[in-house]
Amino acid sequence: MARVPTLTFDRGTLILHPPPKGKDWVQFVQWDERIEKFRLPAHQYRAFLEAMRQEGTEIRDDARKFQDLSLNLPEIQPFSHQQDALNAWKQAGRRGVVILPTGSGKTILAYLAMHITPRSTLICVPTLDLMHQWYAGLLRTFPETQVGLLGGGSKDEAPILVSTYDSAAINAERLGSQFALHIYDECHHLPTDFYQVIADYSIAPYRLGLTATLERSDGRHELLQNIIGPTVFKRTPEQLSGGVLAPFKEVQIKVTLSPDERQEYDRLIEERNGFLRDQGIGLGSLEGWQRFVKQSARSKAGRAAMLAHRSAREIAFGTSGKLRVLSDLLTRHLGERTVIFTDDNATVYKISEQFLIPAITHQTPVKERHATLERFRTGDYPVIVTSRVLNEGVDVPEASIGVVLSGTSTQREYIQRLGRILRRKEGKEAILYEVISEGTSEERVSDRRRGVEPNKPPEEPRKPPTPVKGLEQGTLDLNTPISWEDL
Amino acid sequence: MLTSDLLQYSLKDGQVRPKLLKITLKNIELAREIIEIFEQHVGLTRRDLSEALQTLEGESTDYRTKRGLAHLLSTEHSTFDPITPLEPIQLRERVFLHAAKMGPIDTHSQQTLTDLAMLLGQELGLVLTPEQIREGLYADLPERHYLTSFEAPVPEDLLDRFNTAQAQGIFYRAYDLKLTAFRNSQAEYKYLFKFLKLFGLMTYIEGDQDTGFTITVDGPTSLFSASTRYGLSMAKLLPALLHVSKWNLTASLKPRSLDLMSGDETLSYTLDSQCGLRSHYKKGQIFDSALEESFAGKWAKAKTEWVLEKEVDLLPIPGSVMIPDFRITHPNGKSYVLEVIGYWRPEYLRRKFQQLRKVDCDNMIIAVSDRLNLGDAGVDMKDLPVKVVFFKGSLQPKAVLELLEV
Repeated sequence: MARVPTLTFDRGTLILHPPPKGKDWVQFVQWDERIEKFRLPAHQYRAFLEAMRQEGTEIRDDARKFQDLSLNLPEIQPFSHQQDALNAWKQAGRRGVVILPTGSGKTILAYLAMHITPRSTLICVPTLDLMHQWYAGLLRTFPETQVGLLGGGSKDEAPILVSTYDSAAINAERLGSQFALHIYDECHHLPTDFYQVIADYSIAPYRLGLTATLERSDGRHELLQNIIGPTVFKRTPEQLSGGVLAPFKEVQIKVTLSPDERQEYDRLIEERNGFLRDQGIGLGSLEGWQRFVKQSARSKAGRAAMLAHRSAREIAFGTSGKLRVLSDLLTRHLGERTVIFTDDNATVYKISEQFLIPAITHQTPVKERHATLERFRTGDYPVIVTSRVLNEGVDVPEASIGVVLSGTSTQREYIQRLGRILRRKEGKEAILYEVISEGTSEERVSDRRRGVEPNKPPEEPRKPPTPVKGLEQGTLDLNTPISWEDL
Repeated sequence: MLTSDLLQYSLKDGQVRPKLLKITLKNIELAREIIEIFEQHVGLTRRDLSEALQTLEGESTDYRTKRGLAHLLSTEHSTFDPITPLEPIQLRERVFLHAAKMGPIDTHSQQTLTDLAMLLGQELGLVLTPEQIREGLYADLPERHYLTSFEAPVPEDLLDRFNTAQAQGIFYRAYDLKLTAFRNSQAEYKYLFKFLKLFGLMTYIEGDQDTGFTITVDGPTSLFSASTRYGLSMAKLLPALLHVSKWNLTASLKPRSLDLMSGDETLSYTLDSQCGLRSHYKKGQIFDSALEESFAGKWAKAKTEWVLEKEVDLLPIPGSVMIPDFRITHPNGKSYVLEVIGYWRPEYLRRKFQQLRKVDCDNMIIAVSDRLNLGDAGVDMKDLPVKVVFFKGSLQPKAVLELLEV
């Protein structure tokens, strides 16, 4: 008697054995000589079973290990854009990406999606802060259901699991059969060689991607179409401003290096440039950079030039002038909720130790960062300083002042940093300060971050960052950078 | 193992060669120097240690070598721990809350620290300075941990470990590994396949004893697209492979962006059992059981032309491989493989015989202990494509010799 063709899950793939009758199944599978059975990629699960059902072929499904949940309706009155996004996603077969600005309630949309798709759910987030934020929110929203954590020291098993992208990727082979719904927060993180396996090795028939900015500089966001689904809904900050987002103004402050720093900076840059000239290397392109990195491991002069480059960068990013500006800004905004952003941990700790301000970096223990954010929320800590970890999506409510002390040149990051202070609060006017060093390579970095074409002359009026319409502009002219002395 | 940024290799004609350190006086001296720096820093912080190592690096271009040696010492020979009288997380909370009340501006910091040194000193019955408070604030950061113990290796062993780690690192971006294994002992094969299984790798085996077995190593999803996801497992496999006598391998590698400048689209890495690399894994037992050992001893004394070898044929079965215990060869070239089944459970036997049905091998002999009641184990003895010999107590060469046909 012939056995029923059975689908089983094997470490990110599906094994189909024995082969069914009919012919449609052939296009999904490949013969695996190692086990002498047919195999197909796990992410084909839904398409394969739908095709078999269409054809009337009986398949026994031993692959799925996810379960039905009973989830109550979240006690939240959704905004119309959240309801519209939910409908669009459902219409698209519960697969697809929703693009909404930071602070517009993507989490609530996720709760609604879970409520109408009550199956085991995996939620992937880029940072430990976001992980705990989702965790706390899910516990509140679905108190009847077990919620677990994967990453940051936790290794739970639960029908609703919140995981970092890192941990989900490391455990992709094991998690692949356990969840019917995948929610990817800040889903532009997903399409890398390392993270994409979370989606590729999973049978999850339902997938929701959430992001404020889909674009990646490497163009790989195009892949999301296949691994999550099409973009089903999109609203820009302009479309939502006034309604959801708070107005803000932006102030750029240039600081001059101290004479000693200036001299040292110039000397280091000259040392580096001398080497680059000798070697005929230009740093305008990625290829130039790669040649520089290569040379630095080959010759003593190259190594010295690289060290000079790094020291110069440190002077520009961590200049004492910036800390003087910071001191004055904190005095000016005494008592206001302030977040300070820097690019590197060393500066975060330097500020924390010098100003005695709590720091949050990726090294901060999970419970402590939770407690620190909580104290920031209640106002016990009026100011916190952080490296990149708070860039994306973390709720830092009621912060009215942002200070960017240094940064790298991606537009996405800049927008999301802005998003941190675009919180809706009655009568709130947020200010974002960007403190950069004058006459250093950082000016160019800042331009790139703000979306200004690098080849345009700096005198030309700068484009303000994305949100323009409906956003109240500050008393200071956005287009003319002011120097520190003017404040 | 080494992190990717510490790997050193050269490219030539699409071939990758890891940089290896010869056991020269100069290199031994270098290894000794770095080991001594670690010894001198027991009881000091990781930051102090890093600074000393950085000074040693200077502006020299072989910083990756020095850093690599130091990396192996700190990850495989050292213990780092935080040491502080004041629990940092609690200390931070006290300090930051106090500072928040004062207004978190740097001009107030010194006053805050002085206040807290006084307060905490009174609470704990200690004399504390503001500087101690500032230093204790982040005592739990890894770079401020103390090197509490260090087990110094001899310099030659460190160089050996470095070389194996450099070779292992090449596999991080391997998406396919082809091993050719020649006449190796059963125990070595078993050892190798134990590690293949442990690291979740899959194999496809072709060939025979005379031409060598080609063992293709990858993972479940490799069927659909080349993936470097199993590279780390392959890297971990290498030290196990170094305990096997006769083999060579070719790994296909995904080039890094820097490698693409060499113009090679595909890269590979070849290595064989003569490579001189040394394993730091423990070597497995030569014999699986006393039963087999005593049989080999008796065979050596028996008067027969047939030679009992521990170098065996691999018998591929779907999803796995069978590694018989012995190979028996006649001077005229005729040969048999022998599998001895001594200790067992019914479930094990059922699986074993199921496997045997799938093995395409017409010269196989199974020796089964007579104490086993195969009927009870639910094993069907009919249609077994192999010769079976039963034995009581210990297996005698005579019983096996009777089945052999020249």
